Amino acid sequence: MGKKTDIIETLENINSIPTLPTMIERITRLLLNPTTSAEEVGKVITTDQALATKVLRLVNSAFYGFPGKISTITHAIVILGFSTIKNVVLTTSIFDAFHKRGDETEDFDLEQFWRHSIACGAAAQAIAKYLGSNDKEECFIAGLLHDLGKLIVCQYLPDEFSMVLTNARLKEKLFFESEKELFDVTHQEVGAFLTQRWNLPQNLQNAVLFHHTPDPSREHFLMTASVHCADIFVRALDIGNGGDNKIPMMSEQVWRSLGFENNSLIPLFDSIRDEVEKATIFLQLT
Amino acid sequence: MSVPNYLLPDAAEHAIIQDTMKKITVDKIEDGMILGREICGASGNVLVSKGAPLSAALGRRLQNWGITTLYIEGEEDSLAEENAVSISPEKLREDLMYKFSNVINNPIMKQLFTTVYQYRLNKNV
Repeated sequence: MGKKTDIIETLENINSIPTLPTMIERITRLLLNPTTSAEEVGKVITTDQALATKVLRLVNSAFYGFPGKISTITHAIVILGFSTIKNVVLTTSIFDAFHKRGDETEDFDLEQFWRHSIACGAAAQAIAKYLGSNDKEECFIAGLLHDLGKLIVCQYLPDEFSMVLTNARLKEKLFFESEKELFDVTHQEVGAFLTQRWNLPQNLQNAVLFHHTPDPSREHFLMTASVHCADIFVRALDIGNGGDNKIPMMSEQVWRSLGFENNSLIPLFDSIRDEVEKATIFLQLT
Repeated sequence: MSVPNYLLPDAAEHAIIQDTMKKITVDKIEDGMILGREICGASGNVLVSKGAPLSAALGRRLQNWGITTLYIEGEEDSLAEENAVSISPEKLREDLMYKFSNVINNPIMKQLFTTVYQYRLNKNV
């Protein structure tokens, strides 16, 4: 296996790359419509029994404080709210699409990987909320998906993946620096390839592709910046692990444009930890 | 508690009851702990009732059922103090230094390092 072109060619020729579950599209479309009722969403969710069970388990988990009392999906949706439902559907669908075929290698802990991804989603959402952004839910998704490229490489090019991991560890580098050094192709590019193939909105594609190199002159900068910061904060708070144990450099432009001060970071860290606790319940459902 | 319980409305009483529970992870279960809130299965069925005594063996079974956290009876604070393993400031600094070692010369990262170090030390996380 050689360099960049070979890797991209390999990926393009993989026919079995997971497709985005149709459920995500259906739910997303429904939830975008302000007149959609809980019953309508409930009907769609009920068509997928595994998903319906997860939603019921979530609402009946100790976290929401109604254990054992909610037995209908519609009731669950009313309690959880549309945005949580969307996050549940998305997280569990994506998790299922990959986790089922999860080849856990000795040096890569998938559970820690998902914990990092979910935490990034939750943190990006908390940052967006802090910034007063309207894209909170989409930021969750962007954070959740930002490292998707790593999973693809892990599953379809396991030898290369293993080399990147070892090289990152030995040289005390970031995962993407190691990728760049060995193959000149990064998980950001591979992830963006997948989001494109899935026809995800441009803002999500950009957040995945540029989460290590955010640039204010590009479109959808705020979402990319939220994910960029989320990744750094979550690593600093030691929540999960995406494959290396280093902190990427904070973009100065992001830092300045988001206007973080020491005082504003403390409550932000608190809300990140709250959101992460909430989101981690999804992980327990799968 | 200065106000006797019988003077409080139901909702407030409920809140007080809730306050005397503590959420723990399944692996922290010790013999003699009492379950503070029932544990439910996928279909909403009750797996373990509130008030049931807990044991390490039950903890393993809960793990097999995919349950990772639960509520036990007891004061949040006192229990937290008893069970909390304080982070050693030296170990925390060392771990963070490793993570930040390639970027620590950058002023923003230096500032972030200090904030995170203080935060994690204060919150014991």
